[in-house]
Amino acid sequence: MQAISFLLIEDDLIETMKFKRVLDGLDAKHTISQAENGEEALRLLKSTKELPNVILLDLNMPKMNGIEFLTSLKNDAVLKYIPAIILSTSNNRKDILECYNIGIAGYIMKPLKYGEYKTKIENLVAYWSSNEFIKV
Amino acid sequence: MTSINPEILQRALLREKAARKQAEKILEDKSKELYLITEQLRKANKKLQSGLTEKTTELQGVFDNLVDAYVLMNLKGEIINLNGAAKELFGYDVSEEKINVIQLIYKDDFEYAINSFKLLISKGFFSDYIARVNTKNKGIRWVHINASIIKNSNQKPIGAQGIVKDITNQRAIETQNKKLLHDLEKSNEELGEYAHIVSHDLKSPLRSINALVNWLREDYENILDDSGLKNISLIEQTLEKMEHLINGILNYSSINNNTDLKNTAVDINSVLQDIISTIYIPSHTTVTALQQLPTIKGDKTRIQQLFQNIISNAVNYIDKEVGTVSVSFEENQSHYIFQIKDNGIGIEKEHFDKIFKIFQSLGNNKNSTGIGLSIVKKIVEAYEGEIWLKSEPKVGTSFFFSLKK
Amino acid sequence: MKGIVFTEFLELVEAKFGLEVVDKIITAANLPSGGAYTAIGTYDFAEMLSLLTHLSSYTNIAINDLLLVYGEHFFSVLASSYPQLIDKYEDPIALLSSIENHIHVEVRKIYPDAELPTFEIVEKAEDSLTMIYKSSRAMSSFGLGLMNKTFAHYNTNAEILLEHIKEDGTEVKFSITKN
Repeated sequence: MQAISFLLIEDDLIETMKFKRVLDGLDAKHTISQAENGEEALRLLKSTKELPNVILLDLNMPKMNGIEFLTSLKNDAVLKYIPAIILSTSNNRKDILECYNIGIAGYIMKPLKYGEYKTKIENLVAYWSSNEFIKV
Repeated sequence: MTSINPEILQRALLREKAARKQAEKILEDKSKELYLITEQLRKANKKLQSGLTEKTTELQGVFDNLVDAYVLMNLKGEIINLNGAAKELFGYDVSEEKINVIQLIYKDDFEYAINSFKLLISKGFFSDYIARVNTKNKGIRWVHINASIIKNSNQKPIGAQGIVKDITNQRAIETQNKKLLHDLEKSNEELGEYAHIVSHDLKSPLRSINALVNWLREDYENILDDSGLKNISLIEQTLEKMEHLINGILNYSSINNNTDLKNTAVDINSVLQDIISTIYIPSHTTVTALQQLPTIKGDKTRIQQLFQNIISNAVNYIDKEVGTVSVSFEENQSHYIFQIKDNGIGIEKEHFDKIFKIFQSLGNNKNSTGIGLSIVKKIVEAYEGEIWLKSEPKVGTSFFFSLKK
Repeated sequence: MKGIVFTEFLELVEAKFGLEVVDKIITAANLPSGGAYTAIGTYDFAEMLSLLTHLSSYTNIAINDLLLVYGEHFFSVLASSYPQLIDKYEDPIALLSSIENHIHVEVRKIYPDAELPTFEIVEKAEDSLTMIYKSSRAMSSFGLGLMNKTFAHYNTNAEILLEHIKEDGTEVKFSITKN
């Protein structure tokens, strides 16, 4: 299994801890970079030399919301190749449609139970571990 | 001149006398004839006059007593007469000053007025003209006018008449109502959205608590005793109940968005099968359809929600060894009427109204949030139906609801 | 026949031939009315015919000539009694061509039972008129007299040719040319 570099865009401290804890429990040495909102994430993406393999983001964020961030991302010639996956509390049909329309690689509902969350994230990591990424 | 024979003169005189008598007789006869004709004429005239007076009085009565304003004008638009209501509305007295209807038209409605006038001339009438008019004392008023051409006995147009209704207040009320309705819709929508956002925001800490509690258990498994572990699982159960509640509020608030109430054909048979395979049904209980169920027009999610909430309610409250929940229906011209019958604990009559109110849960069931039946009621009402029930405590309950076709 | 035709006739006879002649023809004619006429009465046409016949035989003047003179006289009666009827027209041709459509219509208003001849216009030009006279009375000469005086009234004269279409004189063609 290859190690994946994630960018997690999440403003909630505990959510970030949850994600880290799931990854820490895995054998592979995946890496996580973090941003608290879309604006910060874009800044980070444009300044870093090492782009993440996968972006995970919440839709409800302060400043720049998830949709706005996705739109900027997909309009960038370089960044648009990074798969973006939504972690959301809302299963609002309108939101899901709009996200897929802009171009997302997945849409995951945050479950109440940590156990279920852990399973979902482990599956996600396992799936992307077996994927090839584009290096620009 | 030679003298004339007296006899000739005498004869001439006699002829003259006779002629005079003839003339007198003729004149007398003529006078008599004339008198008779005059009498006849007078009688006929009188009859005509009284007929005319009668009609005129009748018309005058209509004219005076008309609640709406009545305007009589010639073809140039000059006003010939106004009844009391019209004088009151326009503030003019045509016996004192000359008024042309053109003066009464509000400037922005001029083109519309001219077009309507053309219609009046070409078709002989116009109806439901709604525009503003200038009045002397009341400023600009909104009026509704029906007008028609008046013709003389030779069918030649000689003027026009109009019934004018002051609809200013009516319009103001209508506008106000429209605004109120709009505001209400908006605030409803906002409320729905608000509930949505709040629900999601509320769920977020629940997830966090759940994760934290899980970590406590994972990380301190060796330190915690049975009581500690039991409390942790009680926290988890409470969290689940809380999430259940929040989902209920979310569902309830989203029913308001009835933009897509009727869109697809929904087969109730398959809805029922979906429910049976989705919800938890204890092994001693069966859910069945007593007949082939109809396919109705509706939003599948809402319809499923409706049936599911009643059925899961029924299933939850069965205390018999063999539980049965059955679904059947009847239809009339406008509605489908469904019946969902169970042999559960039943409901006391005094609770019939209460159970449809939000957060009213009768039993102490852990799966019951008290939102389910209020959602049911809301969906039924969204489909212009009604919901009611028959129940006998300890024997069972039948829920009935109608859905508009 | 209207009484005015009799009274005017007898007045003309009296003026031309004297009261004795009037008395003579009335007595000789032995009339139902006894010769007592009033302008507003109505009398049998046979009485007029009888008076004319007796006058003609007494004076040795042809009936048609008598009628012509009478017609000429009668115009002045009409002109003084109904000047507005004549003043309406600017020239005699216009007046004559309106006998049927206007003048007789007016006459009937005053005398509803008057028996009037018809004048049917055959041809009309500015200075000429052709009409067909039709009447059971056969009094076209009376008409000719009226026409002569009509032209005189407008200080002009005309050539008027009479041509009997029916021998008994009940239908006569008038060819009028203004000079």
